[in-house]
Amino acid sequence: METNIIVAGVGGQGVVTAGTLFSQSALAKGHNVVMSEIHGLAQRGGSVSVEVRIGDVRSPIIPRGETDLIVGLEPMEAVRYSEGAGKKTRFLINTETIAPISLSMRGEEYPPVWELLSRITDRFEVYVLDALPFAIEAGDARAVSTVMVGAAIQLGILPIDRDSTLKALEKRFTQRLYEINKKALDLGLSCRLSQAAMH
Amino acid sequence: MIVMSRMNEILQDSPGETLFLLGNEAVARGVIEAGVSVAATYPGTPSSEVGDTLFAVYREAGIDFEFSVNEKVALEVAFAASITGLRSFVFMKHVGLNVASDPFMSIAYTGVRGGMVIMSADDPSMFSSQNEQDNRNFASFAHIPLIEPSNPQEAKDFLVRAFELSETLSVPVLFRTTTRVSHQRTNVVLSHVRKGEKRGKFEHRSGNYVSLPVNARSLRKKLEEKMLRISMGDYPEDLNRIEKYGREKAKYGIITSGEAYNVITDVVKKNGLSVDLLKLGLTNPLPRDLLNEFLDSEDEIIVVEELDPFLEMHVRSHINATGRIKTVHGKLDGHFPPEYEFNYEVVSSGLNSIMNAGIPIPDEDVSEGDLPPRPPVLCPGCPHRATYYAMRRAVKMMRIEDPIFTSDIGCYSLGFYEPFHEADTMISMGSSEGIANGLSKAVENRIISFIGDSTFFHSGIPPLINAVHNGARYLLVVMDNGTTAMTGQQPNPGVTMQEINGKVSIESIAESVGVRYVRTVDPYDLGSTLRTMTDALKYDGVAVIVTRRECAIIRDSRLRSEGKIRPYRVNTEKCSKCMNCVENFACPAISINQGNITINPTLCDGCGVCAEPYVCPFRAIEAS
Repeated sequence: METNIIVAGVGGQGVVTAGTLFSQSALAKGHNVVMSEIHGLAQRGGSVSVEVRIGDVRSPIIPRGETDLIVGLEPMEAVRYSEGAGKKTRFLINTETIAPISLSMRGEEYPPVWELLSRITDRFEVYVLDALPFAIEAGDARAVSTVMVGAAIQLGILPIDRDSTLKALEKRFTQRLYEINKKALDLGLSCRLSQAAMH
Repeated sequence: MIVMSRMNEILQDSPGETLFLLGNEAVARGVIEAGVSVAATYPGTPSSEVGDTLFAVYREAGIDFEFSVNEKVALEVAFAASITGLRSFVFMKHVGLNVASDPFMSIAYTGVRGGMVIMSADDPSMFSSQNEQDNRNFASFAHIPLIEPSNPQEAKDFLVRAFELSETLSVPVLFRTTTRVSHQRTNVVLSHVRKGEKRGKFEHRSGNYVSLPVNARSLRKKLEEKMLRISMGDYPEDLNRIEKYGREKAKYGIITSGEAYNVITDVVKKNGLSVDLLKLGLTNPLPRDLLNEFLDSEDEIIVVEELDPFLEMHVRSHINATGRIKTVHGKLDGHFPPEYEFNYEVVSSGLNSIMNAGIPIPDEDVSEGDLPPRPPVLCPGCPHRATYYAMRRAVKMMRIEDPIFTSDIGCYSLGFYEPFHEADTMISMGSSEGIANGLSKAVENRIISFIGDSTFFHSGIPPLINAVHNGARYLLVVMDNGTTAMTGQQPNPGVTMQEINGKVSIESIAESVGVRYVRTVDPYDLGSTLRTMTDALKYDGVAVIVTRRECAIIRDSRLRSEGKIRPYRVNTEKCSKCMNCVENFACPAISINQGNITINPTLCDGCGVCAEPYVCPFRAIEAS
């Protein structure tokens, strides 16, 4: 059995942090993990993704169609990674949008989120969540990625749980940030996920 | 960025302990376990995190580590330490070895004393590079041993072996990773830490380190003898191994190395194929006995490797030279492509065509190609945006028709993208100026060159001397953000990080080589930047403008920790929606929402350049 996760977003959103939390949590469960961190040319504002592979695998690149979960910290980036998705792929998407300059420069606006999602809801199970209010409630707007990890566990398709993820948080954060992120994780675990319907 | 607790983790002397390490962090740990005394680099992705990790721990580890001015100097620094008997390590990205290749080719002849390893981090598929040259060729070119790890564990363990091999045979060893090995994170089991010697001892060995022809001729023959000894078995055995897969007697034997090994074993296991596999960690010279044993026990051979048919050509030559008759499949008979990194689909399709493996390969999902692109962009607050914005205006104000922009390697390469379009050429480190020298001979157009501070120190000074000496005419803009930004904010000779680092002035260099027009501006001050640029564009000769302003990432992390970032906002009553800020300034923090221009307060770093009247003539952008 193997589980493959892609975390996609915009540079600066905490994509690598989310990938590391999934990885450390799976390691705490005793699984083998291979994570791929490819940094593009931009430090901030570009499209960024990490791939996390859990199980008896060696290559950090997920085979086409074998992704179990795409976690999008930004809707457009989640849709962008649907190219490698397959029959079993599910999406968990944070609804906070960040407009790419390619749109603004032409005087265009970010499309409505439902319109973006309608490109994938006909073929995939897509869950959406506005994670920012939960992160702020936990004490830090930057805890969005931890809220998303909690929400991902809710889906019941990952070989990780609350306890293993708390161990991951311990490894990643100092005491003060640990408390904030623990709360963010729990809010993610208990929040109501809505499934984006087909249009 | 490595935090304190992680720093202590990487230094601990607790064999058997496990850490979740990036390939490059594992290399740094290998440096610590090997007892390296001197390490040097010039930052370059995908090798950069080796330097970041060593930079964080080198004092505690007792390693003398430096960011050198360029790869050639870094290699010579390491070589010097090695000939005094110390273990030394030099590392760089693949194209960095082109820069260091001059001494590289000759130290193969002279040999080394303390173990010396040269790491080249190659970039198949060019995630962050201008080409995907396969630097394994450098090992056979220079006639030195080559070691290739497949994962972080091997990156650490094989590095220690590389030092042992180097020391045993007194030969430098090339250690080659790829992006997928360097940027792969897995659990790594630690071994003992070995403390390196603090001081070496220089022994005057007549002629050994003097590459005069008379010496080089005899050293050449010695090098061949060393390589022959290695191929006959004088190498650490655990670098190579034979693995067997499947239930049936295998018809095919696969020879592989590096990341290709990871992919092929995933494919083989998932599909239950019966194959034998020769996994090579030592890929130059080929281990003769092991190779013969493997060749003779297989019906047919498949070579699975990324980029050039390096192993394939050597295996084919070996088969031919030893009088064997054996069918070999690989790139040369068209089953695997020579370009880009391998993945599950590419390897499966190769096996399907060679051995009728019948591996199902799913079609790509419907492409979302019409999504608005999100290419790499200059960060909010990046001083380069202000420089590019000002130059576009200056060129327009001076009515300069058809200027040619020569650019260079760094964050500012992104000036190629819209809306700036201020990069017509970008080839290699320092080429903005070398090409400007040539263009000023070939055409009448106004030539404007952009180079970063670190790249200027690395390779930009000789072409500036050339320009003065040979009368070239161009405007050189040195974009000085006080760091080597693109690779992750490493220091360079223009900054003082520590008491030992001297600070070198770009202006003094320009003046001292004879540039008569040298000016310095703060790009955040658009008005004076614009005035200086228009003035410099009138100058006939080689002119230098230094645009100096700290990298936004460094500034932001300092201001954020002090809680001092004050984002700007748009006063909608004053905003005339002229669209100049979004169309021509193009900061990722500014976008259009429900018909209004808005600034995202979490992205804005408060640089305030967009509030200048040159960007917003209606003064609608205000500090919040």
